[in-house]
Amino acid sequence: MRLYDPTSSAQKRTMRRAPPLASLDGKAIGVLENGKLNAAEMLDEVARLFVERHGCTIRAVYSKSNASAPAPKETLTKAAGEVDFIITGLGD
Amino acid sequence: MPLDTARVHEVPDDLLAAIDYCYERGWTDGLPVVPPVVERVDAMLRYEGRPAETVIAKHPATGLELSVHAAAVNAVMAGCLPEYLPVLIAACEAMNQPDFNFHGSTASTGGSAPLLIVSGPAADEIGMNGDVNLFGPGNRANATIGRAVRLILRNVFQMMPGISDKSTQGNPGKYSFCIAERSRGNPWPLLCETQGYPQGVSSVTVFAGGGFCNVENHGGNTPEQVLGSVADAMANYGAITLGQSVVILAPEHMKIVADAGWSRQDAQAFLFAEAKRSVEGMRSVGKYRDSEYEKQHGAEAHALIEDGFIHRGLSPDDILITLGGGDAGGHSCFIPSWSRGRGSIMQHKPIGVCIDCT
Repeated sequence: MRLYDPTSSAQKRTMRRAPPLASLDGKAIGVLENGKLNAAEMLDEVARLFVERHGCTIRAVYSKSNASAPAPKETLTKAAGEVDFIITGLGD
Repeated sequence: MPLDTARVHEVPDDLLAAIDYCYERGWTDGLPVVPPVVERVDAMLRYEGRPAETVIAKHPATGLELSVHAAAVNAVMAGCLPEYLPVLIAACEAMNQPDFNFHGSTASTGGSAPLLIVSGPAADEIGMNGDVNLFGPGNRANATIGRAVRLILRNVFQMMPGISDKSTQGNPGKYSFCIAERSRGNPWPLLCETQGYPQGVSSVTVFAGGGFCNVENHGGNTPEQVLGSVADAMANYGAITLGQSVVILAPEHMKIVADAGWSRQDAQAFLFAEAKRSVEGMRSVGKYRDSEYEKQHGAEAHALIEDGFIHRGLSPDDILITLGGGDAGGHSCFIPSWSRGRGSIMQHKPIGVCIDCT
């Protein structure tokens, strides 16, 4: 008996990690909040700790209108030119 | 047309062993599947005019692709007959529309399932059920087309329960959630007719449904009484959001509404106006948010929006209403949308035809 494989044979999108920062000290932070309840509060607190411990600067806060959809390409492109790293995560 | 590059597993000629093999490979939804024997899949592919390698949906995050071939393989596993394939493909094409957000609605803790509503002559042609026991069980086409969608989400898009599907409680519809719109005795235009398709063209509508709420009313004799019960279900604190709604009216309820001369638009307007909660009430259960109120009451607010209230949805058009179920019984249903917001917007596609294709 010969069975077809039901899983996708398509190549998965190639993904790679961004190169790590050599140091966090004095870096510019972007906050990407997803609009969920408590997301902004939680992320602000995390960002505050980076400011306190590493002398970072909060440069920009970006928002998504749909928590479960990828951030718009324009948002990520803009952020890439404005900040050294982004803090994001789910609220609730 | 078979796909030359498809991967094939050679297994012993033992059907029960092949079923177990599918379990061992992690290809099932928990129930036994029909082993996707090459000849059976190839026979099904004759019901699609495009080449088997044609991509009909793509996962936005992983890039995983659904081909016509993979759809047929999973359809066979779900128990579909070959003639069901065009409905399944149309459903997958509808789910692939970005605003449906099939990744988010599947991955979310919200636990939604894609509800398929098949409208038009195609439903009868393949023997779908829009009548008694609408949501099942008992009809092969309804059960297996809906199941094939789940198997595709699992096998092709790797939306695995507990890993990339994090539903808190899941949803019985995640096994299968597929119905036909009842055309017999339907006083309103069929959905496919209102969706702008040429006469005779059937459609499938997909909706990320968050569950199922029976609306029982055997005493109401006016549209306001019957639809008032529906509106109350739509406005319950557990379900009210700015999201869309599906309402399937039972024939007994539909007769009361339509005999009073109400059109679908009349019913939509009534439900939208009545399915609401006060700001104080929303605050009392901790669900009130300024941003949602402002979104609903801003410059684009619908005329039926009432100050001091949160309505369900943004406009009457956010409520899909049609006929379904058996002749006896005052049991309609309301199916809420996934997500507290508008994370998924229902979509539709024609079945078996190409309209405005490039």
